[in-house]
Amino acid sequence: MYSLIYQLRMVSFESATKIVSFTRVYSKSLQTFPKCSSIKFQLNKLSSSSDKFQICKYTFFRDYRVTTNEDKKSVSKAVSDAEKIVGYPTSFLSLRCLLSDELSNIALHMRKLVGTRHPLLKTARGMVFDGKNNLQLRGLLVMLISKAAGPNPQAPYTEQEMISGVYPSQRSLAEITEVIHTASLIHKGVVNLADILPEDGPLSDMEFGNKMAVLSGDYLLSSACIGLAKLGNPLVIEQVASSIGDMMAAEFTPFTDAGGKSTVPESCNSFSDWLKQTHLSFGSLLARSCQSAMTLAGHSEDLGKMAFAFGENTTYAHQLSKDIAAITNQDENPNLRPTSAPVVLYREMASLEEINKMYTFWQEEKINYKKILSALVDSGAVDKCKQLCLQYRNKAISSLDCYTESDAKVALINMVTAVSDVR
Amino acid sequence: MALSNTTSCVLLEKWCKGKCTFNLLWKLTNALGSTTYRSNNLELSCGFHQANNIKALCYSSRQHRGNHCCNLHSTSKCSSLKRQWKHSLSIALPVFVPSLSYYSIMPTKRKFSTSQKDEPDPSYLEIDPYKLVAEEMEGLANDIKMCLKTEEPLLKTMSHYYFDGKGKTFRPLVSLLMSKACNISSNIGDSVLEKQKTVAIVAEMIHTASLVHDDVIDASDTRRGQSSLNKMYGQRRSILVGDYILSQASIALARTGNPDVITILSSVLGDLVSGEFMQLGSKEDENERFSHYLKKTYKKTASLIANTCKAVAILGQCDEEMSELAYQYGKNLGIAFQLVDDLLDFISSDMVMGKPTAADLKLGLATAPVLFAAQEYPDLHAMIMRRFTEEGDVEQARYFVAKSDGVQQTKLLALQHSKEAIKNVQDFASSDAQRALIHLAKILLERKK
Repeated sequence: MYSLIYQLRMVSFESATKIVSFTRVYSKSLQTFPKCSSIKFQLNKLSSSSDKFQICKYTFFRDYRVTTNEDKKSVSKAVSDAEKIVGYPTSFLSLRCLLSDELSNIALHMRKLVGTRHPLLKTARGMVFDGKNNLQLRGLLVMLISKAAGPNPQAPYTEQEMISGVYPSQRSLAEITEVIHTASLIHKGVVNLADILPEDGPLSDMEFGNKMAVLSGDYLLSSACIGLAKLGNPLVIEQVASSIGDMMAAEFTPFTDAGGKSTVPESCNSFSDWLKQTHLSFGSLLARSCQSAMTLAGHSEDLGKMAFAFGENTTYAHQLSKDIAAITNQDENPNLRPTSAPVVLYREMASLEEINKMYTFWQEEKINYKKILSALVDSGAVDKCKQLCLQYRNKAISSLDCYTESDAKVALINMVTAVSDVR
Repeated sequence: MALSNTTSCVLLEKWCKGKCTFNLLWKLTNALGSTTYRSNNLELSCGFHQANNIKALCYSSRQHRGNHCCNLHSTSKCSSLKRQWKHSLSIALPVFVPSLSYYSIMPTKRKFSTSQKDEPDPSYLEIDPYKLVAEEMEGLANDIKMCLKTEEPLLKTMSHYYFDGKGKTFRPLVSLLMSKACNISSNIGDSVLEKQKTVAIVAEMIHTASLVHDDVIDASDTRRGQSSLNKMYGQRRSILVGDYILSQASIALARTGNPDVITILSSVLGDLVSGEFMQLGSKEDENERFSHYLKKTYKKTASLIANTCKAVAILGQCDEEMSELAYQYGKNLGIAFQLVDDLLDFISSDMVMGKPTAADLKLGLATAPVLFAAQEYPDLHAMIMRRFTEEGDVEQARYFVAKSDGVQQTKLLALQHSKEAIKNVQDFASSDAQRALIHLAKILLERKK
């Protein structure tokens, strides 16, 4: 186990030395960028936050993205580029935890679950494979924003301690962020034994799956807590712990039922409810981790607030883009839920009659996506959603204004742009 | 650190009586470093000096007026050394083995009876631990609820469910008493500091969060005489509410702003989880089983109590030595507490405990009474290995335990730990709080639920 970690470390060091040569190549491919950034700065001076400007800015970044990334690979391209900047592939961030005796013990037992429909299996698979939705983006973003903020003379560490421009404590924080996210996924996958169906698998196996899920999640959470304590900054602990609290609270709002399925309560009528729910379930962790990365390096409170805004707006943009993809991409239709942003927006626009009609489509034996989609598109809810997505993307990008230009900042912008794709 | 001194004393005595194997004793001294046993008429110590690679056994006996010492030199733990040592032990021990009987040394029967109190200092008996910190304890449930403030009504109901004031709140009690005792010892007044109070709150929150998770793992339907959370709201939300309580405890802890205290208490979380993992597996080796059990007991129960004691000692400006004593007190108290808990599982009825009894057996867990009984009834070993899964195993095991002196020996072990705990706080400045700590270690053995 240790040798593997050691090997991984070696890999990371190697890639760190490669960075120098890499950045040279990288900047060549981005030759247009210096020009663009100066344009952006001028634009910034001209206007503060009018809508026109937002659109103007959007086209700028959109074009930029299109020139650097190819269509479908855009996210993975942005990720692999960004990984090189921070030093090593972040997909292995929580590997150290995975290699522990406790979790390998669990992995042995996991065989029993094969054939059942226990959610733990899916989560475990996601941890090992680099699935589409498990790119461990959070950790990467935390490291990138750490690097973008740069060294700080007031930091409790020397600049020499930085590896690839990131303080060791910030690296640990990125790892902790990923571990917490994984732990929350695992714990959310605990099933209510009263509700299981015959096709899910035998009761005893499902119960066993729950046991494993509870233990492995607890293990990850406790190692995250110990890691946080080691950082030695109470403020950071408070921030990260409250984001754990937020993620848990998200499961108790009227938006989620006891089994973890999305529901839409009668009381929810506005988009702000959607924002609140998204903040609790995803935004809080990223926002507070980014903020904590600033705190760890001793940066000013303002910089922390901007990092928080970056994390939050990035999450909104990302979630909106995912919700839109559930409409525009046929394969992802099943991801469309009554709580998806376009549906919530539709509720704001449509009459009560129309809304009720839409919900009947969901209740049909086979969900009638065609009718739901056409209603959403015709009402303009989808367009509104796209608009909002771009707005949040731009908000996220403009919250990076406080940092000087750097390859890390470019990578951040690339990442945000890639994960908030709305085509 | 795996075994406490007292445990090894009991085992040493057991060996003298031919009730435990030499292998166990050998492992024990290797794990422990040194062991001393003292009683009215003899002193026995065996130790392993790493530096000199000498294994030494010393004993003295008042009856024989003089010290006897055997030194064994070796460069490795070879079997010949083991044989030698065994030989010298058998030469050394028979001298006093006849006079060595638990029951003559310790008035155990009286210790555990409820009808009559035993003789020691009446001054201890006047201090009611609960009364001494009643003021601080009163606001505890409310303070915890303040930590669990949330807008979501369901989350509020669920997270407040176990903080209804019906629990034993044993952990806050210990940490509040220890706070007072420490503060008096280091001359900073006799009131509990705000931060120490926070530690008490955090301890109870961590404990409750782990209870909620344990109930899901053990599929337990009742807790404290009422329906458990998982029974009422399902497993999924119970787990999430446990995490929520833990996160709010971490926030409260972070607000103390003391990195040492934060590190100490977060290490408890690691212990709790690894204790739970240890509970999953059992040791093949019969001799390792007991140390496995004690280690698990430390991690699952004693670690939280021990580390909160240490944390409040640090907040009370105690030096390292005192903090270590506070830690040791908590550790011994915690192990004694759990041992009593384990034996109550055998002798108490469902009604009194508020949870089903023989629960451990039903979960496949072999606790101290069973492990002791297994030394008299080897049939139990097979049942322990298959985790009492076969038809009739649970009843059979209960029968064996009742027939053996397993319960009695568990009581003795608890008593030894309680005595050790008392020794740990003996040197604290004399105060009501200190006396209450001592008294607590005594009444702990008499509890019925």
